[in-house]
Amino acid sequence: MPKITLDGVTKRYGTLEVVPPLDLHLEDGEFTVLVGPSGCGKSTTLRMLAGLESISGGEIYFDGRPVSRLEPRDRDIAMVFQDYALYPHMNIARNMSFALRLAKVPAAEIETRVQRVAQMLNIGHLLQRKPAELSGGQRQRVAMGRALVRDASTFLFDEPLSNLDAKLRGKMRTELAEMRGQLRKNMVYVTHDQVEAMTLGDRIVVMNEGRIQQQGTPEELFKKPANLFVAGFMGSPTMNFIPADLQDVGGAVHAVCEGLRVPVPAAIAAAAKGREIIIGVRPSSIHVQREGGVPLKVRVVVAEYLGAQTVLATRLQDGTEVLAELPSGRRFSAGEDLTLQVAPEEVLLFDRGTGERL
Amino acid sequence: MTRDKTSPTFFVLLVILVLMSTGPIMLMLVTSLRLNVDIMSETSSLLFLPTLRNYETVLCNVLWYTPEHLSRCDKTFGRALGNSLVVSITATALTLVIGCMAAYALVRFRFFGRDVVSFSTLILRMIPPAVLLVPVFGIWTYQFGLDGTLSGVVLVYVAMNLPFVIWILQSFIRQVPLQLEEAARIDGAGPFAIFFLVVLPLIRPGLAAAAIFTFRIAWNEFLLGNALTDRSTRTVPVTIVNRLTEYDIDWGVIMATGMLLAVPPIIFTLLASRQIITGMTAGAVKG
Repeated sequence: MPKITLDGVTKRYGTLEVVPPLDLHLEDGEFTVLVGPSGCGKSTTLRMLAGLESISGGEIYFDGRPVSRLEPRDRDIAMVFQDYALYPHMNIARNMSFALRLAKVPAAEIETRVQRVAQMLNIGHLLQRKPAELSGGQRQRVAMGRALVRDASTFLFDEPLSNLDAKLRGKMRTELAEMRGQLRKNMVYVTHDQVEAMTLGDRIVVMNEGRIQQQGTPEELFKKPANLFVAGFMGSPTMNFIPADLQDVGGAVHAVCEGLRVPVPAAIAAAAKGREIIIGVRPSSIHVQREGGVPLKVRVVVAEYLGAQTVLATRLQDGTEVLAELPSGRRFSAGEDLTLQVAPEEVLLFDRGTGERL
Repeated sequence: MTRDKTSPTFFVLLVILVLMSTGPIMLMLVTSLRLNVDIMSETSSLLFLPTLRNYETVLCNVLWYTPEHLSRCDKTFGRALGNSLVVSITATALTLVIGCMAAYALVRFRFFGRDVVSFSTLILRMIPPAVLLVPVFGIWTYQFGLDGTLSGVVLVYVAMNLPFVIWILQSFIRQVPLQLEEAARIDGAGPFAIFFLVVLPLIRPGLAAAAIFTFRIAWNEFLLGNALTDRSTRTVPVTIVNRLTEYDIDWGVIMATGMLLAVPPIIFTLLASRQIITGMTAGAVKG
């Protein structure tokens, strides 16, 4: 399985630069998720990897071998498309075996490979049907199956679950995660859904406007986001951003805003000196009662009861909105004034000007 | 409104419509079953003794017996039918083969002048065949030496029908999702494999419609056929007209020929129209 390297890969349409020079290195056997909002260039990047889109500059290497001039068929890749792209005039078995038939694989081997993958994906009973006779979830499986039968070294997924309903998506996500463990192949997965990214990826690459914002393990991205964009994109409900000022009282620096006063560690305080800052607090870092917590004074606007959790939409006195995720131990009512607790070690500080984390 | 309350006017209109469309054919059929004396006589009526003699006259050289009323068998019709079939089928096949490839290129490939080519194919279709008659006759005869040959007729029919076929097929090819072709590329298909294994099966309805259209035009065409053929290469429409002489017009035989002329296109259309199925691309991509 090749190591994939993107070296200054660029994509331009005319004068419009969709993907500015992009450097990315994908390790052997890794499940990499490219995640970002619509139009961030993640799909274009994947299509350039696949060879469906030409590159306007830079080079792609598979194990040090430049491949950007190669046709998709010469790159040893398999791809699952967002809209499945099943051949409607062929039955499922023929859909899955299309690549093998083109490659002139012996019929007996095609048969065994199709059967094996069909068993694995639970679509053995559908092999004689046409795509039109299948439900969305079944088509999705077939599309996966068609890629898996290939036994390619690299698998590319272009938002494969985005057309499924929420329940099915969750189920397929679990199955994918299970499959990932069995296959241990290079997988590159594009999605705009941060939950998919967090649950599936060994490594997540967050993109915005064609640029890589940060890459790392799900935990790294969640706990140490590089900037405001990554912090806001990863995690649900999204992180609260509160503009704040630094106050130095006798050597102890605090980030202060309306209703909240957080102590700042000395190292960060030194870096933040003289800058305007934003406090980032995850809704899950806010508690009703916590040892060592700093108080946060809010007024409840809406309480969304989600079962075990309740998401509170609240306002600070100056009107800044703050979301808090609390256990549904007690009922909250709109208009209620609360003093919640924030875990100070989980609070992040960002530079208001550059958006970088301090 | 329920079914049994349908106004009688509706049925009257329906009957008129049916009469208008089937009337000429019925008249042709009736005339083809009568002898010329009967047709021309003052006392002719709708009541007559039907005979197959006209059909025997027309088909004398393909029948397994010799019709007794004929002193000499005129082989013109049998030969013309053969010519018509060869010309129409060859022209249809060539037009489809060239047309689908040209349409695919015009839809999917980006090249200089694509839009101009695409549009001019349609413009060409607006030229009436009569305008082509004299120049085509001149070029075919004096430059190519194609006068009096079947290939000359086939060539001009292909040229005449190609623009429209390209135009029809373009719209069918546009409906084939691009993702399917991309999936095929990933699966290892080259441009020809994509075209023949993925695109072509999906535009079958378009091919069938274009085939019906081309076949019918080639089968019925008279003007160019008349100018470019000779005695041995005449097609059926030309032959029929040649039956109208100043000495003798055998309406019975002409109508019998006409009835026989109508049969192949009907069969062809029935066969081809089976391919016209909607929803060919259903299930390909999430719609």
